[in-house]
Amino acid sequence: MKLLNKTIRYYALISLPLLILAGLISYMLIKAELRDGTDESLEREFTKAKGLVHSNTIGQTYYLSPDSLSYIEPLTNQRFVPGYTDTLIYDKIEQEDVSFRKFVNQYSFNGKPYYITVLKTTIEEDELLEGILSTFFIVVGLLAVAFFVSNWLLSKSMWKPFYETLNELNRYEIKNHEEHNFPKSGTLEFNQLNETLNKLIGKIHQDYILQKEFTENASHELQTPIAVLKANVNLLMQSPYLKEQEMGQLQSMDNTLKKISSLNKALLLLAKIENNQFKEVEQINFSEVITKTIDNVEEVAQAKGLKITSVIEPNVNLKMNTTLCEVIVSNLLQNAMRHNKDKGEIQIKLSTAGLIVSNSGEPLSIKPEDLYVRFTKNDSSKESIGLGLAIVKGIADLYNFNIRYSFDSSMHHFELKFN
Amino acid sequence: MKILLIEDEAELRKSIKQYLHQEGYLVESAADFIKASEKAGVYDYDCILVDITLPKGSGLDIIKQLKESNSKAGVIIISAKNSSGDKIKGLDLGADDYLAKPFDLAELNSRIKALIRRRNFDGSKAIVVNEITITPDERQVKVNSDSVNLTAKEYDLLLFFIANKNRVVSKNAIAEHLWGDDSDQMDSHDFIYVHLRNLRKN
Repeated sequence: MKLLNKTIRYYALISLPLLILAGLISYMLIKAELRDGTDESLEREFTKAKGLVHSNTIGQTYYLSPDSLSYIEPLTNQRFVPGYTDTLIYDKIEQEDVSFRKFVNQYSFNGKPYYITVLKTTIEEDELLEGILSTFFIVVGLLAVAFFVSNWLLSKSMWKPFYETLNELNRYEIKNHEEHNFPKSGTLEFNQLNETLNKLIGKIHQDYILQKEFTENASHELQTPIAVLKANVNLLMQSPYLKEQEMGQLQSMDNTLKKISSLNKALLLLAKIENNQFKEVEQINFSEVITKTIDNVEEVAQAKGLKITSVIEPNVNLKMNTTLCEVIVSNLLQNAMRHNKDKGEIQIKLSTAGLIVSNSGEPLSIKPEDLYVRFTKNDSSKESIGLGLAIVKGIADLYNFNIRYSFDSSMHHFELKFN
Repeated sequence: MKILLIEDEAELRKSIKQYLHQEGYLVESAADFIKASEKAGVYDYDCILVDITLPKGSGLDIIKQLKESNSKAGVIIISAKNSSGDKIKGLDLGADDYLAKPFDLAELNSRIKALIRRRNFDGSKAIVVNEITITPDERQVKVNSDSVNLTAKEYDLLLFFIANKNRVVSKNAIAEHLWGDDSDQMDSHDFIYVHLRNLRKN
C-alpha cells in the first residue's frame, strides 16, 4: 500500500469511530436537554390543570382547552401508571402517527381524586434535534474531507522528493552510472537519504569498475606468459631426442595451454563486452553472417555426425558490432554442437523477428536460468569452458535482444529475439 | 632472409628467435621502441614482427615509420591486445598480417612464409616440394604434373605442412590454422585426421 494511502487510512480508522462517538454523545446530551425542556412545560400544564380542577366541577372527561389533547378525568377504578412516557397518537388531519410526550398523575381535590393527563407533541423537539445533529454532521464531515484532502496534498508534496529518489533508484543501472541524479529537496532527511544513497551507489560503482578492470587486466596480463609457455612447448617439440611419452606430455601441455588461452580469451571478451568496448556498430547482414558461420562449422559438424538444417530469411539486417555479431552466432552454434548427441541434429531458423538455434540432446541437468551464469556447465560436457552462453547473454543484453531457452521433444531451443 | 623481431618480453623473444633461427632465418631483435625504430630505419629486412605495446612507444608508430620510408619489409603484428580496433588500425597503416598472442610458432612460421612469398614473388611463383608443385595464385596443386583436386581446407592444410616441413606441429596448431577461433570449442581433433587421410590419398 502506498505511504499516502496508508496515512490516510490510519487517520480514517482513528477519526471515524471518534466522530461517530462524538455524534452519539451530542445526540444524547441534546436529546436529554430537550426532554427536560418538554417535561418542564408538561409540569406547567399539569399545574394549570390543577387550577382548573379548583375552579371547575369535573364530571367527565374535561379537555384543558378546545384544541388541547390534555384532559382531566375523575378517577374511577381505572388503573394507570403515573409518570412520563413517550407515545404515538394518530393525527386525523395529518393522517399519521405523531409522537407525543405524556405525563399522567393523580390529583385529589376536596377528597375527590382526579386523573390528569397532559400531552405535548415532540415534533419541534425532534426537528430541532435533527437540525442540530445534521448541522453537526455536515460541519464535521466537511472538516474531515478538508482535513483528508489537505493532508493528502500536503503529504504528496512533502513526500515528492522521496518518490523522485525512489524512481531514480529504480531507473539506476550500474552500467549507466553517470546518468543518475537524485533531486535536491528542502527536507533535511531526504537530502541525507540522497547523500547516503549517492555514497553507497558510488562505492558499488567503483567496485564494479575495479572488478571489471581487474578481469580485463588480469586476462590481458596473462596472455604474454601463456604465449611464452606455448612458444617454449612448441620449441621443445622440435627436439630430436624426445621419446614418445615425453612427446605425449608436451602435447598434453599444449592442449592445456590451449584451454587456458581459450578461457582467458573468453574472459577477456566477456569483460570487454561488459565494459562496452565494442562501440563501433554498423549495418550487418545477419543472414550472411549466419550462412558463413554454418559453412565454417559444417565440416566439424559432419565429422561429429551432426546434421545441420537451416531456414534463413535473406537480408535480415541488424545494427551491431561485426565482431560481436560473429561471436554470438558462432557461440550459439558451438553450443548446439557441443551439447548434442550422437547422430544428432541442429536446426537454425532466422527471420526478421529473431534467430532460433535448436539442437537435439539430453534434458538439462542444471536450472535453465543458470545457463548463462559463468562457469556453469551441464556436467556431460567436460570440455566446455562454461563461458560461451555467458558471452551470448552479454551480447544479447548489450543490444537488448531477448534470449529465451526452451526444451521440448528432446530438442533444446535458444531463441534470440531482435527488437 | 632477415627478420626483425620487436618484442619486449625477453622469454618470448628468445623462443621465437630460436624457432625462426631453426627455420634458417637471420633474426635480429629489439626490446623497446627506440631500438626497434633505429634498426628498422637503418637496416633492410624481409619481414618485421612487431608487438604493439612496447616500452617507450607504440608498435603502430614503427609501422607508420616503415611505410613512410617506403620499406619493402613485410610487417606482421604480434599483439596481446586482441582488439579488432588495433588490428584494423595496424592493417590500415600497412601491416600485412595480425597474429594475436598466444600463438603457435608453427602458425607464425607459416604466416611469415606466406608473407615473404607474396612480397618477393607477388605470389605468382610456384612452390615446389619434391614431386608437389603448388601455384598459390590459382590455389592449384600438381603432383608430377597431374592436377590434384583438393578442398579449401585440404589445400590450406597442405600449405601449412609445407611451410612447417621437417617440423613437429601440434594438432592444436593445425586446428587453429584451419578453423581459427572456431577451433577453440572443438572437442576432438578427429576431423583433422579425416583431412589428413584425404590428403595422403591424393
